[in-house]
Amino acid sequence: MPREVEPSVNERQFFEKALAENLRLDGRAFDQFRDLELSFGDEFGVADVRLGKTRIHTNISAEVTTPYPDKPFDGLFTITTELSPMTSPHYETSRPSDPEILLSRILEKNLRRSQALDTESLCLIAGHKVWSVRADVHILSHDGNLIDASCISVLAALQHFRKPDTSSEGENVTVYTLEERDPVPLSLLHFPYCVTFSFYPSTVEEGETVILLDSTLLEEQLREGSATIGINKDGELCQIAKLGGISVDAVAFLGCVQVALARVKEISTFVIKRLAEDAKKRDKGDLMAELRAENDR
Amino acid sequence: MPLDTSTYSLALLRLDGRRWNELRRLTAQISTQVAADGSSYLEMGNTKVMCTVAGPSEAKGAGGVRLGNDRADIRVSISIAGFSGVDRKKSGRNDKRLMEMQHTIASAFAQNLFTKLYPHSTISLSIHVLSQDGSLLAACINACTIALIDAGVPMHDYICACTAGSTSSYSSNDETADPLLDLNTMEEQELPFLTVATMGESDSVSVLIMETKVQVGRLEGMLAVGVDGCKQVRAILDGVARARGTKMLEGSRM
Repeated sequence: MPREVEPSVNERQFFEKALAENLRLDGRAFDQFRDLELSFGDEFGVADVRLGKTRIHTNISAEVTTPYPDKPFDGLFTITTELSPMTSPHYETSRPSDPEILLSRILEKNLRRSQALDTESLCLIAGHKVWSVRADVHILSHDGNLIDASCISVLAALQHFRKPDTSSEGENVTVYTLEERDPVPLSLLHFPYCVTFSFYPSTVEEGETVILLDSTLLEEQLREGSATIGINKDGELCQIAKLGGISVDAVAFLGCVQVALARVKEISTFVIKRLAEDAKKRDKGDLMAELRAENDR
Repeated sequence: MPLDTSTYSLALLRLDGRRWNELRRLTAQISTQVAADGSSYLEMGNTKVMCTVAGPSEAKGAGGVRLGNDRADIRVSISIAGFSGVDRKKSGRNDKRLMEMQHTIASAFAQNLFTKLYPHSTISLSIHVLSQDGSLLAACINACTIALIDAGVPMHDYICACTAGSTSSYSSNDETADPLLDLNTMEEQELPFLTVATMGESDSVSVLIMETKVQVGRLEGMLAVGVDGCKQVRAILDGVARARGTKMLEGSRM
């Protein structure tokens, strides 16, 4: 297995010197994000997010299974992330690496523990049949900030996904194909997006920590600490993960949370806009309104 | 077990009789293991943790001479005893929560210790959790700090940790919510809380982990109480380290 290529001494010095002059290597401002692109596949539940050169593809699938005996009313929701050698040659498929564990833990805390997807709505027959929703996150290209991008990708895919409609008579559940009945969207309670901050020690004595947003791969390799804040547009913090690294002043950190909130509002509107565009594209001849079974409530 | 928050608002006393800004009893012992280079035993209420340090020693393992190894490598392993919790659970080797905690402790101390003084070497910390009653990560971090002091590894300052919570859950949006310091298991299961670790007496945050949902406005109060608690913890740990130092000096005089 090849080792991760570390930045050379020249790259490191160039980066530090640029940072001292308030410059980033790609010319962005410290708090500026790269361009976010989001596209959906032909099928429901396929989202492709591009954040600069980082590209993440998420596929949502659902099947009917039996629930866990201790939670008979809850459906299952699993997120699988795998950093394969396609992402970067130094990732192995067999053994989970540190970044992979942190990525899956943060997605788990942000989306599962905060009940973004209402798992109780996935229940068909208590204790016997529930939907099992699975999100497969594929990292196609790694240029930093995997956490934010995969979080956007999973949430966009969940909003885009439609599960087949069902009806139940006693113990029997009928799952209708997409042709028979219009599929139904998932019940999502809120949309917590992640924003990751990278910290660098100050270049001057007794100066403040330099904080960068949306770091590229090189910036990530050179950073001395990072913090991921998961928050929804209503101002509910879902998780904070500052796992060690250099220390940051508490007041500066509270500032970061406000920045994250503002950013998450932007992301939310962006995703909603793209979803609306996609829905319009699918709605050929404005037939959806007539064919739809559900009422406006 | 549901925590009856209504009793809190009446008497302003928590389930175990503490006020909002009180720590549980925190005791620490330094140099408990003779064989280890550094060791400690720490109790935060009923959470009991033991930590041993081996190193700084020569790096060994399959990695061999690794490039860019101009600083010491810090390895952390946490083992949780089966009898430590309420229900006897065997945690697997690949428990992601444990791996996250190990990563957190390692990367916090990597910035705090003068690792550059020990190139091509390893400092390994092994933590044994004997009893769990909330604030687990905080107890582990505090035990590591004391053990590293015992091992004589130079560091910038103490890393001290504690937890802070908020009395009402996220759903009720009342403004009367009090921040709470140093939660036990029952409170942790019921209330939003965070674990914070700071560098010594400064306000700079080294570790901040929150896994529960909370209104953004509450964070400031929780963080302020947490940071203040860390300073109290620092005073206690400092006392332990100084008592040990005095004892050693007395011993050398004889």
